[in-house]
Amino acid sequence: MIERDEHLKQAFAALRREDAAGSPSFQATVAAARARRAGVPRRRALGLAAGVVVAVIAVVVASTWRTQKSERLEIDLATVRWQGPTDFLLKLPGIELLRSVPQLGLRGLDRRIL
Amino acid sequence: MSPADLPAELEQLHAAAFGWALSCCGWDRSAAEDVLQASYLKLLDGRARFEGRSSLRTFVFGVIARTAREVRRRAALRRWIPLASLLLGPEAVDGRPDPATAAVGADETARLVRALGRLSARQRQVLHLVFYEDLTIAEAAVIAGVSLGTARTHYERGKAALKRLLEEESE
Repeated sequence: MIERDEHLKQAFAALRREDAAGSPSFQATVAAARARRAGVPRRRALGLAAGVVVAVIAVVVASTWRTQKSERLEIDLATVRWQGPTDFLLKLPGIELLRSVPQLGLRGLDRRIL
Repeated sequence: MSPADLPAELEQLHAAAFGWALSCCGWDRSAAEDVLQASYLKLLDGRARFEGRSSLRTFVFGVIARTAREVRRRAALRRWIPLASLLLGPEAVDGRPDPATAAVGADETARLVRALGRLSARQRQVLHLVFYEDLTIAEAAVIAGVSLGTARTHYERGKAALKRLLEEESE
């Protein structure tokens, strides 16, 4: 097991040597980092501009949608009467008789009660 | 350590830091350079401040690991929101070994890089810190941001998997 760990250590040491040989210098890395920092404000400004454009588009779309919605509400719903396709089933023959009160002799009825 | 001493200290750690950045970026050289530059900026600007709670090496490696994670997250965000590239800058890390890097170099190291690329990120990190950077498992746990027990588990399982993968590669 220890021998196998030694083998791993040697392999990693070889990798480390290879990486070190190909690594950029410290000065070059720091210089590139500073150059990168100099480019950040421009990128932020671009990002901010893009954000503003998106916000303006969103406001325009929202206001247009609202206007269209309010125009649709101008329809007077009280005047609209919807008729269902099965309404005719509610019309029974002789329904007028069921909805009206029969006329009885009211005078005679009053005397009997009184 | 005064802030004026920091560049000289970082220069001494530079080779090891580059190796660690390579490991964090799956041996993608350009991504590792980006991560290292961003990490140095944080350290030199004072956004990441060394307070002496660990060794400077452990601290710097922790900053590099965090920066690599941030870059990976940004890359993922960029894939979902195309407009985010304006705010986040150019894409850097894909988290997998650079095939060109893996192909170049000695056969044995190329095999090692390929095998490491097939391990989980945590296993790769812990093995790298222990074998490549000669750190203890406890130090590796601090840098990777996991408990000592978890780091030990990653170390043992990662070592077994790496040996198996290297044997498969050599067959």
